[in-house]
Amino acid sequence: MFQLKHWRARALSAALAAVLLTSCAGPPAGNVVTLSFFQFKPEAVQEFAGLIDEFEAANPGIRVLQNNVPDPDTAIRTLLVKNKTPDVLTLNGNASFGLLAKACVFADLSQEPSAQEVLPAVQDILNANGRCRDSEINGLPMANNASGILYNPEIFAKYGVSVPQTWDGLIAAAETFKANGVAPFYMTLKDAWTTSPALVNLAAQLQPEGFFDRLRAAGTDRNNSPVSFSKDYQEVADKLLQLFTYAQPGAAGVDYASGNKAFADGKSAMYLNGSFAVPAIRAANPEAKIATFPYPVTNNPANTTVVSGVDVTLAMGRETPHRAEAQKFIDFLLSKEVIDRYAKNQSAFAPTRSAAPQQDPALQGMASYFTSGKLDGYMDHQLPPSIPLVNITQQFVLDGDKARYLNTLDNEWFKIAARMPKRGDQ
Amino acid sequence: MTHSSKAFYWMAIPALLLFVTLHTVPALTGVFFSLTDYAGYGTWTFIGLENYFSLFKDDRILSSYSFTFLFAITTTIIVNVLALGIAMLLNAKIKFQTAFRGIFFIPNVLAILIIGYVFNFIFSNSLPLLGQWAGIDWLSTSILANKDLAWLGIVAVSAWQSIAFSVILYLAGLQTIPADLYEAADLDGAGYWRQFRSITFPMIGAFFTINMVLALKGFLQAFDQIVALTGGGPGTSTESVAMVIFRGGFQGGEYGYQMANSVVYLLVIVAVSVIQLRTLQRKEVDF
Repeated sequence: MFQLKHWRARALSAALAAVLLTSCAGPPAGNVVTLSFFQFKPEAVQEFAGLIDEFEAANPGIRVLQNNVPDPDTAIRTLLVKNKTPDVLTLNGNASFGLLAKACVFADLSQEPSAQEVLPAVQDILNANGRCRDSEINGLPMANNASGILYNPEIFAKYGVSVPQTWDGLIAAAETFKANGVAPFYMTLKDAWTTSPALVNLAAQLQPEGFFDRLRAAGTDRNNSPVSFSKDYQEVADKLLQLFTYAQPGAAGVDYASGNKAFADGKSAMYLNGSFAVPAIRAANPEAKIATFPYPVTNNPANTTVVSGVDVTLAMGRETPHRAEAQKFIDFLLSKEVIDRYAKNQSAFAPTRSAAPQQDPALQGMASYFTSGKLDGYMDHQLPPSIPLVNITQQFVLDGDKARYLNTLDNEWFKIAARMPKRGDQ
Repeated sequence: MTHSSKAFYWMAIPALLLFVTLHTVPALTGVFFSLTDYAGYGTWTFIGLENYFSLFKDDRILSSYSFTFLFAITTTIIVNVLALGIAMLLNAKIKFQTAFRGIFFIPNVLAILIIGYVFNFIFSNSLPLLGQWAGIDWLSTSILANKDLAWLGIVAVSAWQSIAFSVILYLAGLQTIPADLYEAADLDGAGYWRQFRSITFPMIGAFFTINMVLALKGFLQAFDQIVALTGGGPGTSTESVAMVIFRGGFQGGEYGYQMANSVVYLLVIVAVSVIQLRTLQRKEVDF
């Protein structure tokens, strides 16, 4: 979900206008089938334009119209309200996607040949967010991100710090940098969502087994729920706060873009983010020194996992009149060659069995977790999007009031369960 | 039917049709969906008034109401006091009067979203530098990142932008006051303050009313400036009602629920405006 938080300036009307304009662009001639292709990533427009050219050259009977709009999660809903589901879509595989899939607006892709190619651990993460009738496969992963700690290997080498394997090691490293006058982390608290990479990693490894399933099963009954944030997130909250005590002065007023620039320029040893930030950091400074390691959340390195989400999910409109053509396009996008190239260009992890391992040195630290399937999903994808999780977390990191933070989360969760009894499981 | 009254209908009916199709029908659709659990897509069921009951139990909704009213009332007062002051200055016999009036109107021409981003930069970067240089603690970090001060930043930007429009209305009002009233007051030895209290203010009562009503109504619907400045943050401390409706309804998959919120809010704004009009109009002078 991290890339698509830059929605702020974009008025909804502009998004709609863009969709309308692009989808009206010239009627197709003769027997050419035109697929409307909703592509959510602004930074990948060029990439997809190139892929579409290739696809169209190989399939003269099909034209693909790429629509890219700001604030895609909102834009896709407005299209759905008007019953204008695109033929083919890419979306971030987040909670919002899960809700849409659950509402059965996407086609079942489980019979697609390319569905057999997907790494099972990745498909599970995507399916866990929600799917139609709890049995279909409504989205196929095209690229994955991985949330981990970015670090500057030059600064690590300069102070003789090795990559931390344990939580204590991480704190010791932070202390070493602090003692030497180097900012251990560069925090960007102005953008609320930048508190969530740390949160989701802590939660993934520290929350009890099946936490969200049990929480959902409790329904609206807060008092008798076997699990709750107040009970089971104490350590998550403590450790989150501990990390954020290392924020540089003035962190509350720094935004993500400035943070990328600062880390790129070597102003901090570490950066609590993920693979998705790598292209942005390189854009800020092509010479940036970046390497990564997974969050060591406990003192047992064997527990360490990488939190990964499906960055680009391919889906198909359920009622598309051009199913065969749409399938062809999806199969093309999931071909080994395209997946490998996309992963390389966008600093992503390829979610298919046959794909080449990620070669980018910045992502090497997390690559082995990916291939061995030591993956967890994003905890925030399990929460209804109407809970303003990142804002509540930002508030907590700023004021440090743990009891209130966990109570707010419980309160929001059960409140929403209560007002949507029929959909309390969302 | 006379020829001229036919012409009235020909002109009024298309406008009425447009209004009904583009405004009344969507509004009623929204009211309908407030009685369902519609997520904005997919299927829905009719749930009666359940959304409305949930609203009053939702502390996030309640805190957005209290923030919005605090913000709107403060900003309305600031805007009207300053606008009236500026209008009187611009109405005085000064050099370059027209040029000044033009300059003071500029903020109203700029889009609030753009102003918001400019001020966001000023609050986050320029003011902290000033604060550090002057050694003022609360100004050394961005006030937008401070949950107790962020709303003041929004007040400042909103006031800066909307004072211009109020000034125009007040200027129009001031020009309706006959000059001989002041001449008579001068002869009777009334001072400046006395003249303001007994002549100027009562004479522009209608303009004061409309300014107060328009300003409060506008600020109650605040959205753009908050998006540009704080995005509702830090935390959820500056979430206005409009913002909660947008976020929950369009992004959070609770379309039906937030439609109920919109209906309630519509009624609240109508009620506030009516009460305001009535109390203020009673104080206006008739002449």
